[in-house]
Amino acid sequence: MKVSIGSLGVLLIGSLLVGCGSGPDAALESTPDSAPESAAETSPQTGSAEQIVLAIGGESEEGYDPTLGWGRYGSPLFQSTLLRRDADLNIVNDLATDYTVSADGLIWTVTIRDDVVFADGEPLTAADVAYTFNQAAESGGLTDVTVLAEAIALDDTTVELRLEEPQSTFVNRLITLGIVPEHAHGPDYARNPVGSGPYRLVQWDEGQQLIVEANPNYYGAAPGIQQLVFLFVEEDAAFAAAKAGQAQVASVPQALAVQSVAGMTLYDVTSVDNRGLMFPYVPATGETTPNGDPIGNDVTADLAIRQAVNYAIDRQALVDGVLEGYGSVAYGPVSGLAWEAPGAEIQDAQPEEAQALLAAGGWADGDDDGILEKDGVKAEFTILYPASDSTRQALALATAAMLQPIGIQANVEGKSWDEITPAMHSNVVVFGWGSHDQTEMYNLYHSQAAQGDFYNAGYYANQAIDDTLDLAMGAPSEAEAIAFWQAAQWDGSTGFTTQGDAAWAWLVNLDHTYFVSDCLDIGQPQVEPHGHGWPITANIAEWAWTCS
Amino acid sequence: MQLRRILVFTTQKLLRLGLLLLAVAIFTFVLLSLSPIDPVQAYIGADMMQISPEQRQLIAERWGLDQPMLLRFGDWLGQLAQGNWGTSMVFNQPVGAVIASRFSLSVQMLAIAWLLSGLLGLGLGIVAGALAGTWIDRAIRLYAYTLASSPTFWVALLLLIVFSVSLKVTPICCAAPPGQLAADVTFWQHLHHLLLPALTLSIIGVASITLHTRQKLIDVLHSDYVLFARAQGESLWGVIHHHGLRNLILPALTLQFASLSELFGGAVLVEQVFAYPGLGEATVQAALRSDIPLLVGIVFFSALFVYTGNTLADLAYPLIDPRIRLGG
Repeated sequence: MKVSIGSLGVLLIGSLLVGCGSGPDAALESTPDSAPESAAETSPQTGSAEQIVLAIGGESEEGYDPTLGWGRYGSPLFQSTLLRRDADLNIVNDLATDYTVSADGLIWTVTIRDDVVFADGEPLTAADVAYTFNQAAESGGLTDVTVLAEAIALDDTTVELRLEEPQSTFVNRLITLGIVPEHAHGPDYARNPVGSGPYRLVQWDEGQQLIVEANPNYYGAAPGIQQLVFLFVEEDAAFAAAKAGQAQVASVPQALAVQSVAGMTLYDVTSVDNRGLMFPYVPATGETTPNGDPIGNDVTADLAIRQAVNYAIDRQALVDGVLEGYGSVAYGPVSGLAWEAPGAEIQDAQPEEAQALLAAGGWADGDDDGILEKDGVKAEFTILYPASDSTRQALALATAAMLQPIGIQANVEGKSWDEITPAMHSNVVVFGWGSHDQTEMYNLYHSQAAQGDFYNAGYYANQAIDDTLDLAMGAPSEAEAIAFWQAAQWDGSTGFTTQGDAAWAWLVNLDHTYFVSDCLDIGQPQVEPHGHGWPITANIAEWAWTCS
Repeated sequence: MQLRRILVFTTQKLLRLGLLLLAVAIFTFVLLSLSPIDPVQAYIGADMMQISPEQRQLIAERWGLDQPMLLRFGDWLGQLAQGNWGTSMVFNQPVGAVIASRFSLSVQMLAIAWLLSGLLGLGLGIVAGALAGTWIDRAIRLYAYTLASSPTFWVALLLLIVFSVSLKVTPICCAAPPGQLAADVTFWQHLHHLLLPALTLSIIGVASITLHTRQKLIDVLHSDYVLFARAQGESLWGVIHHHGLRNLILPALTLQFASLSELFGGAVLVEQVFAYPGLGEATVQAALRSDIPLLVGIVFFSALFVYTGNTLADLAYPLIDPRIRLGG
């Protein structure tokens, strides 16, 4: 590809000429757009069953190829998946009619519908499914299918997925990986996606908008909205667009959710987009990560400190004060999901309980400076947060203020991620995660995951928890794995949550706030994962316009 | 004789361009290899808990990031020799294609801004120089000094607030109205979305050219030949027309072509403020995510752009001032 200024100049002149040709019918001085910008002032809503505009972000700069990770959450729009999660996050069939997992968990056999065609009219067969999985396993994209040994189409409607090792979370690949057509897949596919999903691509103006229309070949119920326009603008601009009536769905930050917009309802969607304090679990012994960053912290390595922090924090106050009420309290990493352990929650906002724990742990204020000591070490640590994130800043500051009365000195510092990364194994960090995929929990708490990176950054290690997590990962199905996932959190005697090792102090889950037109029925949104915006599209094919 | 001179001039220019580009490439690679941003991490972003070390390895291999920097630089040079600029990590597209599509949006904005600032600057400078010391001169100087010391993004925000938010006469973002198919976007809609970013760039570009033109005109007006012309009864504007303009245009032209680099830099900020998806916006993305092929491509391209501008200025001199010869 060569760019010459000359040819661009010709292009420019060409477009000027064309422009002038069509010029006479558009008067220069009248606001030229029969514009949504100005027309919106008079008509409160511009949406219809024909077209709605969504300002929810979520542009995939590298295009719309599922084998590179497109469709990890929300709707893949252009493609469809073997399975999907319904509003309650239960796994239901989509392309698949049935699937079985062998007793050793190594072979997943999926049968698929025989009546599905891609948007270009070609039939979707098991060969396309096998191709998609094999392709995704080899591609260096954002979907991790590395556990797949190979996928083989047994006949037109049966595909066999052979794994290297059993992995119960592999079902999430069946849920998120959109099937691509073998005959139309190549380097250009990401910009010209063809699939069997509810919508097909009309136009993508990179950095600006994505226009899609209903796919007439879609095998499911025809989508309620004929054409969707996704505007890729910042949250402030999204709010402005909603206020002007240009956008029918807009994702807005909590701070703007307190405002009201005429003709729109605020949807306050529960999420597992969590925030919590990660504690370095081991004492500082001078050990370092492979990169040479220090590991461990003598204060937070003490169970009494970690538990006391968990008990002292008033999580509801954080939700009300920091999140303007748009959130929920979090006691673990998977609030609201089916694999959250019952009984792992605690009675928090109890400074007395916290003080009792500290006293029992040997912490006392010997020099009367308001900060406890033990063996000459002061109960003092630093909470790091990414300086660009005002919510995490407020959470860190509020938490530090709640720890002051119980004699723990928490110093709060905002830094860039580049500075936090080397310091995160020896300092407390305000992290945020949240996924429908249990792999995340595994990587947050498994001792083998701690390799000097974001995985288990605090070097938490408990053999019993490792064993339970391994059992969960190795279970043949999600249903069988759930008991183990729950046990890892808290089984009544051990767990990584507060009553057990208190490896983290989870604080809150953010609610994702959207303004949605009163004329638009978006059904019941799922408990959303980390990432505000695109997840609301999970059931987009079922959305309907209710005004005439 | 003439032909030989042109040949020497061209060879010299090309040689310098080659050296410049090589230096630019080396600097960009060295600087980026020292950058703390891990491109794999930047690519993965918030999904890091779902990406296993094996997948991370696949990603690094896909972009050649598992190789040492020196090897990657060699590879890149070899590919470049074959006309391949590499593939952008951020956009998953050949760098050439990214630059072409982004620049086609930016170039219109840059062209409008460049022409406007040049003409406006020259005009204001002449008026201020001719009427030096009067309140008109003071007003123009005040305007020029104020703008010369205003940051681009601040002016952009100010204009955005006044014209887009309060008066609602210009759009808040983008290069086309939302929801409209590319085929249906008219020339005027296009211009409408282009106008405010271009205007921002041009009113900032005006300052230096105005001040230089003003000073040069004052010098000219105080020269002996102007005194002589005035003594013969030539009017002030006649003097400017017959004696001033040719003298003024030379420095103005130099400045105007030299300002291409500032214009390019300004576009990065302005496009960010107006959410205009041009080359400037792509530059920011490339830098934040350590997308070396794209960033080097853009830096290369902008160096080429600025260098071409300066060469054009060199070529224009002999046309304006016959005393100047190519390669002389």
